[in-house]
Amino acid sequence: MEVYEVFRRTGHKEPFEHCGAVIAPDPEMALLMAKECFLRRREGQHLWVARRSDIHSFSDESLLEIAADKSYRFAEGYRDVVAKRERARARVKELAES
Amino acid sequence: MSDAALVSLVTALADDELVLGHRHSEWTGFAPHLEEDVAFSSIAQDEIGHAAAYYSLVANLTDDDPDRLALGREPAEYRNAIFCERPNREWAFTLVRHWLYDTADALRLEALEQSAHPELAALATKIRREERYHLIHADSWIKRVARGPVEGRTRLADATASAFPETIGLFEPFEDEEAAVKHGWLPVPSDELRRRFYDKVNPMLDELGLPTETHPHAAARAEFVASSSGDLISEGSGETSDAEGADDALGGRRGRHTPDLDALWTEMTTQYRSHPGARW
Repeated sequence: MEVYEVFRRTGHKEPFEHCGAVIAPDPEMALLMAKECFLRRREGQHLWVARRSDIHSFSDESLLEIAADKSYRFAEGYRDVVAKRERARARVKELAES
Repeated sequence: MSDAALVSLVTALADDELVLGHRHSEWTGFAPHLEEDVAFSSIAQDEIGHAAAYYSLVANLTDDDPDRLALGREPAEYRNAIFCERPNREWAFTLVRHWLYDTADALRLEALEQSAHPELAALATKIRREERYHLIHADSWIKRVARGPVEGRTRLADATASAFPETIGLFEPFEDEEAAVKHGWLPVPSDELRRRFYDKVNPMLDELGLPTETHPHAAARAEFVASSSGDLISEGSGETSDAEGADDALGGRRGRHTPDLDALWTEMTTQYRSHPGARW
């Protein structure tokens, strides 16, 4: 018996989302069990199962942490660009006049 | 006003589903693992739902109440096959009965889709959709246990040896069956359904190494020839002990039941009997 992760989607345009796990001897049984455990109240239209052991992840989750300032990767990080530009122009003008 | 043959036919269909559904439901909280507990409970609910649909049809025909039909009759008024009322015993027996019953039911529903009674035909189509999944569930289990470790195989073989002969009760003619066949309400008579069932099930049992022996008396009475598989027939699974079992397997369609139904009925109807007229 193995653990299978179960994914379902609520409509044809929706993404599959993880909804739980079942223990089963093989994929066919996993689907049957998943149907009853996660779809018997019409919670969705389709199911995927995948062996948990076939799902890969980082063993060290700290690798996923963002340590330094990455504000330049977000639009928000550029919010004061206009003000900065105004300040720069003012300085250029100042220097030219002096 | 109502047609007795139609009422008798649909009542028997309903009683099979209700009684077996109730047996299935006894596994809730006790099934071999959590996922199967949920799955099997859901199947039990499906069967009881099918029974409710059949009872509603009968209630319309006879101006009766579906709840009264399901729970307000005496055991001798039930027309289910004795096969359905047998206790669950163990998982292997439950499983093989689930598989044999749903295989038989699939053939019966296939036939009833052609029923001359439009409501019954429509109901058969609807129920068949759900039964298709039940059969996949049963098939999947049986194949895995039959090909799995020896303990499971042995238990399944023993269970099959005692369950299989009693399937004969599913094909005992309904009351007034001739009239039901004549009107086209039951497009395929029980005799023919029985032949189709054994034609289908015997090769499958043989392939899985499960016993296909039926008691000679029952076989003679039913006029079909039993085949034998070989390997896994457990010793002494038979002749003497099965002899009574197979004879006991008939009578359900005429209301002649075993004490097994009395026990089931007592539990199943407790609420209904202790609070007459209660609604919820």
